[in-house]
Amino acid sequence: MITKMSHTSLFVLDQDKAYDFYVNKLGFKVNTDVVMGDAASEDGSEEQPPAGGFRWLTLNTPEQPDLEIILMPVVGLEPDAQAAIRLLLEKGLMGAGVFYTPDCYATYEELKAKGVEFKSAPKEQFYGIECIMSDGCGNWFSMTQPKEH
Amino acid sequence: MQLPEDIYQRIVAAKLFIDEHYHEAIDLGEISGQAFLSRFHFHRLFTRIYRSTPHRYLTRRRMDKARDLLAQQGLSVSEICNSVGFESIGSFSTLFKKETGIGPQHYRNMRIVQQQQAKAQPRTFIPHCFIEGYKLNRQ
Repeated sequence: MITKMSHTSLFVLDQDKAYDFYVNKLGFKVNTDVVMGDAASEDGSEEQPPAGGFRWLTLNTPEQPDLEIILMPVVGLEPDAQAAIRLLLEKGLMGAGVFYTPDCYATYEELKAKGVEFKSAPKEQFYGIECIMSDGCGNWFSMTQPKEH
Repeated sequence: MQLPEDIYQRIVAAKLFIDEHYHEAIDLGEISGQAFLSRFHFHRLFTRIYRSTPHRYLTRRRMDKARDLLAQQGLSVSEICNSVGFESIGSFSTLFKKETGIGPQHYRNMRIVQQQQAKAQPRTFIPHCFIEGYKLNRQ
């Protein structure tokens, strides 16, 4: 049986910009930040990545340390697949998920003050209070305060 | 029930004050002053919004920062304790162990080993399906 999710990937146009958004603005924690390629021959592989290497960057939300959110650059796919993903990101069309907040109005005010871009202000829905924000790297998220039952 | 917008802004200003001044000896009077509210009224609203009392939130911020600093080399455990706003190394260590499950020095040793491993063998941190699927060994 599957009991929980441990990793989920999020394509981003710019890892550094995404780091700034998720860590410095939203307050997420860095789980792993390593460059693959610095130690290219670690497993004896003959394949040598170019200088610089690939940055494996994963984050946790403050209260979910066992779910790693991978900030994934658009690399390693067929050129047409990469172009399609880039196009969706450039248009800001990637709906990436829902973040929980204990108070949508307060978090909206805080993030707005930090310069986060919102597509919609908090609004009551049948399941709670929700607003939509953009990560500035091609993704949008719902930020929801679930209704208390 | 939704509160007036300016109340949210005032509570958020106080929360950001804690975020910025957690390492100083700040108290409820100073924090509630940022929101221009009485201690009682502020305490009630802050706790309702963040599901945590201002004191617990402040302690959490200090512990978070202590964990960040312990993962870096440079400051001693005692210096970290003082730099994040705890006055006693004893109470810091006890609280750290209660929250993290291990003592500060043990936590530091563990993080340093992890970082050394990540630097030496980054592939041990990356699921193989990602390395294969995105041809990461060719990036």
